[in-house]
Amino acid sequence: MKYALFLGCTIQSEEFGYEASVREVLPALGVELLDMKGASCCGFPAFSSISKLGWHYLSARNMAIAEEMGFDLLPLCNGCHLSFIETIHYMETDPDLKEIINSNLEKEGLSYNSKCRVVHLLEVLHDNVKPAKIRSSVTHPLNGIKLATHTGCHALRPSSLQKIDDPEQPQKLDELIRALGAETFDYPEKNDCCGSQLSVASGVSTLKIAGEKLNAVKSYGFEGLVTTCPFCFKMFDGRQRAIRGVLKDRSLQVPVFYYTQLLGLAMGLKPERLGLQLNQSLDDEIIMKIRGEQND
Amino acid sequence: MNKSTSTSEMDEREVEFIAFMLQRSISEMATEVCDQCGVCPSVCPVSRHMDGFNPRLLVAKVSLGKIEELLRSKEIWTCTSCLKCKERCPEDISPFDVILILRNLAYRAGYNYPEAYDDFITGVRETGFISASQSIRMHDGSKVNREDLGLPTVSGPQDMTVFRDIIDGIIKAGIRK
Repeated sequence: MKYALFLGCTIQSEEFGYEASVREVLPALGVELLDMKGASCCGFPAFSSISKLGWHYLSARNMAIAEEMGFDLLPLCNGCHLSFIETIHYMETDPDLKEIINSNLEKEGLSYNSKCRVVHLLEVLHDNVKPAKIRSSVTHPLNGIKLATHTGCHALRPSSLQKIDDPEQPQKLDELIRALGAETFDYPEKNDCCGSQLSVASGVSTLKIAGEKLNAVKSYGFEGLVTTCPFCFKMFDGRQRAIRGVLKDRSLQVPVFYYTQLLGLAMGLKPERLGLQLNQSLDDEIIMKIRGEQND
Repeated sequence: MNKSTSTSEMDEREVEFIAFMLQRSISEMATEVCDQCGVCPSVCPVSRHMDGFNPRLLVAKVSLGKIEELLRSKEIWTCTSCLKCKERCPEDISPFDVILILRNLAYRAGYNYPEAYDDFITGVRETGFISASQSIRMHDGSKVNREDLGLPTVSGPQDMTVFRDIIDGIIKAGIRK
């Protein structure tokens, strides 16, 4: 398994814990990651709002680079993944669009030939590596900790194009979590939005939407929240303090993890190598519990 | 129609295509088949938290032809793109796509849009990405960058001048100034 690794904007600029953990765990599971030369923003969400042509151009140019490398494209962000999936769809259904995009790509020495396949991290881990192999690579099971899954909107909808998991009852992230020796169960707000894309328009409402989900997660007895999307992670982890402020609730504390960080811990890797020191929502207690260490 | 100077390299056909694309987008807003059933605001997380945002009413305004009112409004920029309205709409209208089309029209026709979009565009024009790699704060308050964590340097588009010209051409073609 070899993939062209697409970092997009958020991960390469600030979500280093995700990238570090991905680079640690995937190769250990037999997944080779190849860095892309000349990659750029995928166009979502900035360009899709102001220039659909610009959006598709940016997505297409990254797929053209992956085509040239000869590998399937692995974006780590839900937004980027959907952006590529939608651009593939529009390029196939609109030959004029494809021609215009290609005439511009030519200026960069690139061309899009519909050969690029785009895969989601959940597909790589669940469908290709498979939970059984992950289970067998676990040396430090997560001690039965209860974790809520947050697959994220753009990995689930629109189900007409996005086919990663069941849009109403996603289970892949759940199975991957169970493979680490942690527990998870469905909850009513499981498929709800993190609200991050509203931050451009309203700083307060965006925090309220995220806070609603964190409150729900806490109320069901989950000890943490797991995602594979950098936008969602940033919202639930990086902005959790701001969420507490807006909701005026200092007790709202939910540890948030990237799945690959937990996978690394379960494989016995050191927290520092998985960028766990970058998660704002974690305390020592949760790490100790996960690692089965006594703190009394 | 006035064209901004940076479109000089743009093929006339490309400008026509953008106009055609937008025109087709408008016709894709098949809002007249909306039954006003109310599913979209019932699943919309923004409607739950912000007064005055209601995808059902927004779709109604489009079918009533109140396009300019919408292009001037803040509400078209008030959407968190959760795509639940698109997923649930029994008539396949997708208020989300209607919003995206209105945003594209508003930007192109010179109406107000959130300032953050200018920062996004500037970032992409300058580095290829919305934001360049930063030093970030760790849990203990100290800061680290990619190199500190042993992450490889990210290379943006190889010829930034060519890349920037293409982006400028595409987003500015046909814009009224």
